[in-house]
Amino acid sequence: MTTSLAMQRRRATAGRMWKQFRSSRQGLLGLGVLLLFVAMALAAPLLADVRELNPVFARAQGHPQWAPPAEFGPLGTDYIRRSVWAQFVWGSRVSLFVGLAATVLTIFIGSVVGIVSGFLGGRTDGVLMRFTEWFLVIPFLPLAIVLASILGRSVWNIIFVIGITSWPGTARLLRAQVLTVKQRLFVDRARSLGASGWHIVSRHILPNVSGLILANATLAVPISILTETTLSFLGLGDPASASWGKTLEEAFVNGAMIRNAWWYFLPAGLGILAVVLAFTLIGRTLEEIANPRLSGER
Amino acid sequence: MSEPLLSVRDLSVTYHTKGGPVPAVRGVSFDLEKGGSLGLAGESGCGKSTLAGALLRLLPEGTDVEGQVTLDGKDVLTLNPGGLRAVRWTAGAIVFQGALHALNPVQTIGQQISEPMLVHKTVKGEKEAKTRTESLLGRVGLPASRAGAYPHQLSGGQRQRVLIAMALACDPLLLIADEPTTALDLMVQAQVLSLLSELKEERDLTLMFITHDLSVLTYACQRLAVMYAGRIIEEGPGREVFADAAHPYTRGLAAAFPTIGDMSSRLAPKGLGGDPPTPGNLPGGCPFHPRCPLARQECLPEEPELRPAGGGRSAACILV
Amino acid sequence: MHPGVSPIVEVEDLHVHFGEARAVDGASLRVMPGEVLALVGESGSGKTTLIRAIQGLQKATSGTVRVEGKSQAIFHDPAVQMVFQDPTGALNPRQTVYEVVAEGLRIRKDRGDELEMVKNALSQAGLRPAERFLPLYPHEISGGQRQRVVIAGAMVMEPRVLLADEPVASLDASIRGEILGLMRHLVDDTGLAILAVTHDLGLAWNIADRVAVMYLGRIVETGPTEEILDDPKHPYTKALLSVVPETREMEQQILKGEIPDPSRVPSGCRFHPRCPLLQSGALPEDVAARCVDDDPGPVALDAVRAAACWPAMATADRSDGGRAE
Repeated sequence: MTTSLAMQRRRATAGRMWKQFRSSRQGLLGLGVLLLFVAMALAAPLLADVRELNPVFARAQGHPQWAPPAEFGPLGTDYIRRSVWAQFVWGSRVSLFVGLAATVLTIFIGSVVGIVSGFLGGRTDGVLMRFTEWFLVIPFLPLAIVLASILGRSVWNIIFVIGITSWPGTARLLRAQVLTVKQRLFVDRARSLGASGWHIVSRHILPNVSGLILANATLAVPISILTETTLSFLGLGDPASASWGKTLEEAFVNGAMIRNAWWYFLPAGLGILAVVLAFTLIGRTLEEIANPRLSGER
Repeated sequence: MSEPLLSVRDLSVTYHTKGGPVPAVRGVSFDLEKGGSLGLAGESGCGKSTLAGALLRLLPEGTDVEGQVTLDGKDVLTLNPGGLRAVRWTAGAIVFQGALHALNPVQTIGQQISEPMLVHKTVKGEKEAKTRTESLLGRVGLPASRAGAYPHQLSGGQRQRVLIAMALACDPLLLIADEPTTALDLMVQAQVLSLLSELKEERDLTLMFITHDLSVLTYACQRLAVMYAGRIIEEGPGREVFADAAHPYTRGLAAAFPTIGDMSSRLAPKGLGGDPPTPGNLPGGCPFHPRCPLARQECLPEEPELRPAGGGRSAACILV
Repeated sequence: MHPGVSPIVEVEDLHVHFGEARAVDGASLRVMPGEVLALVGESGSGKTTLIRAIQGLQKATSGTVRVEGKSQAIFHDPAVQMVFQDPTGALNPRQTVYEVVAEGLRIRKDRGDELEMVKNALSQAGLRPAERFLPLYPHEISGGQRQRVVIAGAMVMEPRVLLADEPVASLDASIRGEILGLMRHLVDDTGLAILAVTHDLGLAWNIADRVAVMYLGRIVETGPTEEILDDPKHPYTKALLSVVPETREMEQQILKGEIPDPSRVPSGCRFHPRCPLLQSGALPEDVAARCVDDDPGPVALDAVRAAACWPAMATADRSDGGRAE
């Protein structure tokens, strides 16, 4: 009975949060755009033939090269006769997947380090923070390039590289929040009741930092996506994958700008823009819900 | 018969919040003679801090303030910004609660005391401001050498003294002290009260003292007004109101501060049931009736007005 | 007191030092079952540190704390429970009233009907009907109700002693009486003992059987409430009493300055730089000299009525013909 009471209250709280979210136009816009792209990514097989990504197939099909959308719909073809539409649709999968997976890694490492460091304090905190700062100080791009070159170019390695280089920011943020929560009187109360460190972290610290984690995660996804795009654009991406970053790279390298073949680079570019914007809008709305003072309330 | 220094008529303040309009002050009227002292007592949600803010128009943008506030002959609520600036701090000044956030953490206390003098041009320049600041610090019991200290380097009692010095910077006629002794220790509280009392005598200040600690007001004030749910529900000479209150709420409030040595309160804490009402959510009729031990049918549906209760007091209760 | 009954809490010569700062500097006290002891002091007296050390939230530098006769370095004995000054801060805003009250039981992995125990504790704390309060969050109840929830959370553990740190200081004056009444009730009903830390002498008058006055890390006077508040022996207690607005007419003795920094404890009697008695010049030279040079030491653990003050002890000796303790 008691757990169902708690469940009821949790559901009511979730319902209230949803209502608040719903009332925010920017939040809904962001969510809508995101869902659209997620739907597209999931429905990829229905929207475009995956074989179109294979240049041999494209050739065999007799597609024209550099064909604008008017000639070969819906988005024309590229320098080796592949359908740009297929690349757009299937590329969304990689971009979104890498973005999400890298974020999960970032948030996971960052949260664990931040929470452990903030909660335990003392020497552990000192050591972990030095370690974190070390990562923060190293310039991201050279590190990413070096790692990608050493580990090889695959989707999983890209995810790893992004995760490894992005977690320090999350760790520092979370550590600061944990330090604040740790001082709160209800943590003292739990201690005075005999609570173990684990109880305090799971029952008191985590629920009070989860909002921050969520908001931070939502804002970290676009960063991961952009990072992936950058790495792919620099030629460090997985040669076999069809990410938007890769599309932009190939377009650039093969002279799509010079030829004015806008149908080749514009969709990928706009796609990235749209997804990043969507996540940013959602993240901001979540932050406003978690911290009403941000939206200008009294 | 000279005009009172401060005259408030039908003052009402309504906040606009996401949940709708909240009437924090609902028609308050009182007079304060020059050289007099008025204590305003009340608990959370009664509107006393809002009232203090309204007197010098220090409330947030978008708050509705109605009624009339006349300070030193000027109608504060209708002054233009220039006129208002002139009145603030020079005619009436506020001493806030001495919490760390009442002082700017990145400015020295000397700078903060000098600031109003320079802004209002009551001194001829920085040098004179510095001299006056040091003399003020001395007057409030702090060594002049502390002018270079930052707020976090001072204790709670010392910060409160700095706020008093700041309020006196431009020699105001009226000093409004808003919870000046809350969160201070007993001895420090006594020191601050004693200081305020001395300053009042020296400078012929008019004092308005706002607090939730009714017992503190008995010393400090000639007249006492008790606020509940945005209105004054009892008013009269300090000692009388505390010793023999007419309104049941005041009686209940006074009983919460037992007289040490009085056997009737030994091991017998007295208080009122229920909770003070929240401004947006008042019960109908007399706002105190849900908690009143003497409540009866006639307490609804209308709110009683202040009526004379003998001994110079008035109380808003039908039983008076 | 009650011969043959052993104390619930015994603090013996406790020291809690933070580097140079001697927050608690040799304090001893005792709380008997069914008794309310008010520990009175201002900020800087060490009262909060002392109570935290008893509860186990603060490690002691030296000295012992015994609960029900058992001595432990750090406590989490459920017989000792705490009530906090700020009921809003003491409640996790994300926990329902039910979860708050049940928390102690869950930590102890109590075998028992959790729901029944929580409901009983809430009723005991005056929140009736208990069911109504179970699903509520702290922001949905008033300040007084929050403090009752904290009290329920403590009572559910069936404690023998409650450590209350300024239990009504953050509450509105009109409801203080109710919460204090509840606390006294719990003592009378269950034989609970309470150690209430406060700077409010009115609270002591209202609910305490005994008073211990703390100054700069030590207990400087102790005794039954009526005796201490009617006829204080230590000049510090006298001064405190004189500035309490609710005291029956007494000449005000406003001390100068504030409690000294705990890292710079004055020599001799630690109160001597601010002592109105010493400054009045009314003391015989030899006594005054002792005040400045000799430390009268803290009040002893078993003292029933004592003050750590040379003039007071001299007077007591003379009037008793023997030691006052």
